[in-house]
This record gives sequence, C-alpha cells and structure tokens, in this order.
Amino acid sequence: MEPDVIPLSEQSAENKVMPLESNTNDEEDFDLGANVVQLRVTDGIRELQTVIRDKSTPRNDFIFYADRLIRLVVEEGLNKLPYRECSVTTPTGHTYDGLRYEKGNCGVSIVRSGEAMEQGLRDCCRSIRIGKILIQSDEDTHDAKVVYANLPKDIHQRKVLLMYPIMCTGNTVVKAVRILAMHNVKQENIILLNLFCTPHGAKKIIAEFPGLRILTSEIHPISPSHFGQKYFGTD
Amino acid sequence: MSENVFKFRPNGSASDSSGEDQEGQERDALGPLTINVLSPGIMSPTALSPHNKVPNSPSKVGPSRKKRRAPGASKPDEARVLHTHGRRTLYTAGRPPWYNKEGQLKDAFVIGLCGGSASGKTTVARKIIEALDVPWVSLVSMDSFYKVLNHEQHERAGQNEYNFDHPDAFDFDLMISTIRRLKDGKSINVPIYNFATHAREKEMKTIYGANVVIFEGIMAFANLELLELMDMKVFVDTDSDVRLARRLRRDIAERGRECQGVLKQYMKFVKPSFEHYIEPSMRLADIIVPKGGENDVAINLIVLHVHNQLQARGFKLRGQLAQSSHNGQPMPGTLHILEKTPQVHGIHSFIRDKDIGRDEFIFYSKRLMRLLFEFALSMLPFKDVLIETAQGVPYSGKRIAADKIAGVSILRAGETMEQALCEVCKDVTIGKILIQTNLDTGEPELHYTRLPKDIKDQYIFLLDATVATGAAAMMAIRVLLDHDVPEDKILLCSLLMAQSGVNSVAYAFPKVKIVTTAVDKEVNEAFHILPGIGNFGDRYFGTDYAD
Repeated sequence: MEPDVIPLSEQSAENKVMPLESNTNDEEDFDLGANVVQLRVTDGIRELQTVIRDKSTPRNDFIFYADRLIRLVVEEGLNKLPYRECSVTTPTGHTYDGLRYEKGNCGVSIVRSGEAMEQGLRDCCRSIRIGKILIQSDEDTHDAKVVYANLPKDIHQRKVLLMYPIMCTGNTVVKAVRILAMHNVKQENIILLNLFCTPHGAKKIIAEFPGLRILTSEIHPISPSHFGQKYFGTD
Repeated sequence: MSENVFKFRPNGSASDSSGEDQEGQERDALGPLTINVLSPGIMSPTALSPHNKVPNSPSKVGPSRKKRRAPGASKPDEARVLHTHGRRTLYTAGRPPWYNKEGQLKDAFVIGLCGGSASGKTTVARKIIEALDVPWVSLVSMDSFYKVLNHEQHERAGQNEYNFDHPDAFDFDLMISTIRRLKDGKSINVPIYNFATHAREKEMKTIYGANVVIFEGIMAFANLELLELMDMKVFVDTDSDVRLARRLRRDIAERGRECQGVLKQYMKFVKPSFEHYIEPSMRLADIIVPKGGENDVAINLIVLHVHNQLQARGFKLRGQLAQSSHNGQPMPGTLHILEKTPQVHGIHSFIRDKDIGRDEFIFYSKRLMRLLFEFALSMLPFKDVLIETAQGVPYSGKRIAADKIAGVSILRAGETMEQALCEVCKDVTIGKILIQTNLDTGEPELHYTRLPKDIKDQYIFLLDATVATGAAAMMAIRVLLDHDVPEDKILLCSLLMAQSGVNSVAYAFPKVKIVTTAVDKEVNEAFHILPGIGNFGDRYFGTDYAD
C-alpha cells in the first residue's frame, strides 16, 4: 500500500525538464485556474518546506516541521468554510463586530498519509467529524483501488475537507473524490487540503472535477514522496 | 545582609480548574518566588578586610548561589504585604520607571561610602538598604575589584607582606566602567574575587536593575573620575581605637589569627594607609557619619535625602502615555498585523465575547497565539540554502538565519503565550519579567526579571497578551535594552493592542518590531482597551469571577 509512489518513468522525465536554475517554485509557472489556491509563501513557510524536503532532516524535526505546515494549511482551509456576521459584547461592555462559523463541516482523510493531517484539523476544530478512505495502489500498474471507506452518514449535507498531504499523479485523490461523489457529495463542497502538489496532479484533478477546490502550500514537479514513510517511521 | 526578598503567590485556585498543560508547566516558575538583590561581597565574611583573609574557605568567597532570606523577611510575610487588591497581593515595592516616555534612561542615584577598615561601612550600607526598603538598590563593594596578583605577589600576600591597603591594589578602570554602566541603568558583571588564590573567579556576578547604587570601600574616594559618578558621598568616621579593637576581635576570635600578626599588619599597612589615603579623603564627603552603624540619626537623614531624590525623578508615565499626542497618528511602519482572515476574525469574536466559557476562551486564544507566532517567525532573517531532497534532486529553499531565539514573557498574561511559542519554535529559551501596576500611582513597576544568559546575542520575542498604554511593554523593552539586546532584535508579540500603545512603543523604540493580531482604537480611563478583550490574564487563568 503505497499511494505516494511516483511512477519511475515519470520521475526521470521530470528530472530532465527540471534543471537546477529553473528550480523555482512559483505557482505562476503553472496556470491552474482559480480553484487551485496556494498559501502565501512567507520565508517561514519556505523554511518548513525546505526542512520537509531535506533528506538529512532527522525524523523528529521532520514531524515537528510537518505538523507546523499542516496546521497552517488547515487554518487556511478553514478560511474557505462558510460563516455569518454577528456581534458580541466584550467584557468592557462594548460591542465587537465579529463573525461565527457555520456548522456542517467534516474532514475526510485518505489513509495513510492523510491521517497525518487529522491531528492538525483536530487541533483547530476539536469535535469535527472525520471520515476515512483507504486506497491502495497496485505496485505494478499504479492503479488506485479503494479498500475501505467510513464516512459520516450525512456527508452529502456537509462541506468536506479532504486531507491528503502529497499529491503526485492525482490517481488516489481522483478515486477518493469518486467515493465521495457516490455518497452524493457535491464537487463544490469539497476542499482538498494538500501540502505538496505536482502541476500535472493538480491538472488531472481539475480536469476531472472542475468544481473541486485545491489548497496547497507548494506546486512543484518533484513531490517529497517520502512523506508518509518518514512521518510514520516506516522507512 | 542586604538582600530584599520578594514573594509572589499566584492565586491557588488559578492552576487547578481546568488542567491545561501550560499551567502545570509553569507552576514551578510561579513559585513562591524569592528574589535576591545583589550584594556581592557584603555578606561574605572574607570580604570585609582582605588582608586578614585566611585562605581556608575559598568556597565562601563568592556570593552564595543559594537564595537567602533577608533579615527583613524573618518577620512574618504578612508584615511585608504592600498592596492587596482583590486576589492580587504584592509583597514588596516594585521598581518604578527609570526612563522617560521616550524610553530614554534616567541616571541611577549613586552613593559613595568610604571609611577606614572596620569602620562600619557595611553596617551603614546595610542599614540604608533596610531603611529604603526597596528591591532596586544594588550594593557594590570595592573588594570585588582587587587586582589579580601574580605568583610573587601571591606569595607575599600569604606572609602578610602584600599591601592591600594601597590604591594600587585596586583595578580602578574596571571600577569606573562598572559604576558608569550601573549608573546608566545597564546590567553589569561584577568580578568575584577569590582571596585564596588572589584571582578572579570565572563566574561573574550579574547585577541589574538599580535606581540606587551604593558603592563602598576603603578607597572609594581615591579616584577623581569615580568621585564624579557619585551623587552623594558619605564618610563613615570611627575612632581608630575602636576600629583596631574591632579588627583584633574579629581577626582573632573569628578568624583564628595571632594577635602579633594582626598588630604587625595593622602598623605596617593599615594604619599608614588610613592616615595617608583614607582620612584625607574625608574632606571630599558630603556627609560624615561619626560612630558608624550605630548612628541612626545620620542614617535616617541619608535615607530621607535619597527618598526625596528618587521622588523628584519620578513622574506619571502611564498617564502621559495614555494621553500622549500620538493618538490619531498613522500607524508606524514597525507594526505588523496578522491578516484578518475569517478564522482570525472568528477567533476574535469568540475570545472577546464576555459570555464565552473558559474552556473555549483558552482553546481559541491558543489557536490565535499559534498563528501569531508563525506570522512573527517569518519576520526573522532567512538565508537561501540549497539542499538535497530525499528524491535526489537539489532544492533551493530557505532556513532561518537567526541563531538563537528567546521568548521573554511579561507576567502574568504573557506567560499564557509561552506554550504556543514553544510549539512553533524548537528549543526556545524562556525568560520572565514581572511587571505590576502600582495601584496608588497607576505606574508600572518592575518586580522580577529572570532572563536567559546570553540574551544579547538572541532574537527576542517579547510576549504580552494585550498592550493598552504600552507602559508595561516599554518597561520590559527597557529591561532588554539594559541587558544589551539590540533594539532591532526585539519583536513585541501580543494578541491585541490599542493604537495609543502601538504609537507609544513605536515612538520610544522605533526599531522594535510590533506584531499583533488586532489593533483597537481606544483606551479608557482605567487603561482598558476598547472594545477590547477584558483582563486577559484573569480570564485565561480563571481568577476573574466575582466574589
């Protein structure tokens, strides 16, 4: 079960088109439309990405920095959820014009690496419902196959934060969204929370599900595909 | 013994109501804290007159690292309570502002204390400190500034043949630079002189935070430059017979020395030196205290004068800050406000709501703090790096260029932010500063500081949950500057600030980065931010309920 793996042929192809000097990570290079949103990359976020990608990073640092990046992606993802205006009275007796989040959201993690993001979501929304989908990709054909899914019953009425940190080919996510669609979840109600995404992975998702929104921290042809193994320590 | 002890007791009920890990983590630090004010040498029995030192107790030479109680604290603690307001109890006077609203320093008041050996200088100093009854008095003894002896001098000292009663025995240059820094309100490192080896210990005693400095020693008036630094010069004049009698009794009874040796040294060095250097310097004194430490009238007069001097220097800082003309000015360029995303706005709506439960208040505060620190971290300098990825492809990324980062929290509310800082910043060191408002004057007062050692080389995240007038934040920044932290390495991080506070801080310290999640427009007469968030510390720690 390793959906993170990039097919070998593709990786070597990318190596060729990615000489060192063009190793920029700007999303401007990839026209992916309005539904692919990248976090505003500050120096702090670039450091997180650097540490996660660095092969010499010790595992405890890796988890620490990955959790920080996950938290930032989750916080930004929550910004996409609906809210309404309201005003509250402060302890000084004055009125503050604020807003309230709407109920009716849920998270769905794609096992295994998506589970790394569950805690980050839990840390922001303590009682949010979280469903799981387990997808296994065939070692030889890289075909993704659904093994298990357990989702909230009323998921079709909810906004869904789909969690999957590393997207290479996009095959796994396509499968997962199909499962959601089978449960009558609208594309427009799905937000994919993602840390690292390849341009062609993103393109594939958009082509298949034009209403789905993708939030990522970096769009780059090379994805840190060791993420799941290093995070869970199975490498 | 000159230490002033200060105790701070958090409300016992604060830490047990909801079991947050942060409170558990900080319980130790909130103590009861005992603070000692610096008095190198005064209590060490060996420091009184160096030539009599029998080098048998080197361990006693340096000021003990153990916290000791001042004699004043031997009374029941209740006797020392200065302010009680609601649940808050202060056990000592804090240090009032020692800088003006531009953040510039006012000089410390330096008292020079001179007199012959065994004349009772130390007793006088101790009595002045006791009578002042404030913790921001530092005592510096000349004994700390004896020169390091070479081997041959060291041998002679062992045979009572080295003259410790001569100006040449002291390192006046170091003394002058030390007293000057202390007068400027900066932190200093006083050497610890080891009378057994006649060398300085590797460790230095750090002294910080003096509005009053007492400098005592037999040659205190022997250097012109030093004299110019003194605001008041006191000579303790005790009869020679009395002094000799005291020396004999002390050296023989307490230090087990031979009567002959003591007398020989007295006649050879101590007496000529007194007549030659010390007694003539009496004419430089402003006040001459006969009979030394028993002269309560003279000591009371001195204390009265010092009090008057300190009062003349004080002023209403906070009132000035709140009403200062900064209001309505554009926000300074050093202010950085976290983007008001729906989440940030929503979190504010929760934590500002007076009816929210404590559980949710704490939860959402922590979320906001985490966002704040991620935001603040990205303001530190970064450097470009080229790393090798696990996929074997080079990747040009960034790493933080700041070597070390320290958090310094302003107690109590700033402490709530420490955990969030630790969550985004591995291995961060944490310092603490306790500043409380004096309810009589409305002024902030400094009660306690514990800062990481090499703080001047670090980037400092100064933490306070809310900043209204900016008075406490300015005091904390001043403390950091006094410890030689460069102004541009300080980031003041808070959840909520008032415009006036932003302007006051930015005006006084234009290089300090101000990082916050929201800025409110007003501050009311009680110095609360409007619409504000209430008393953050009380709400977080649960000490805010009525009755």
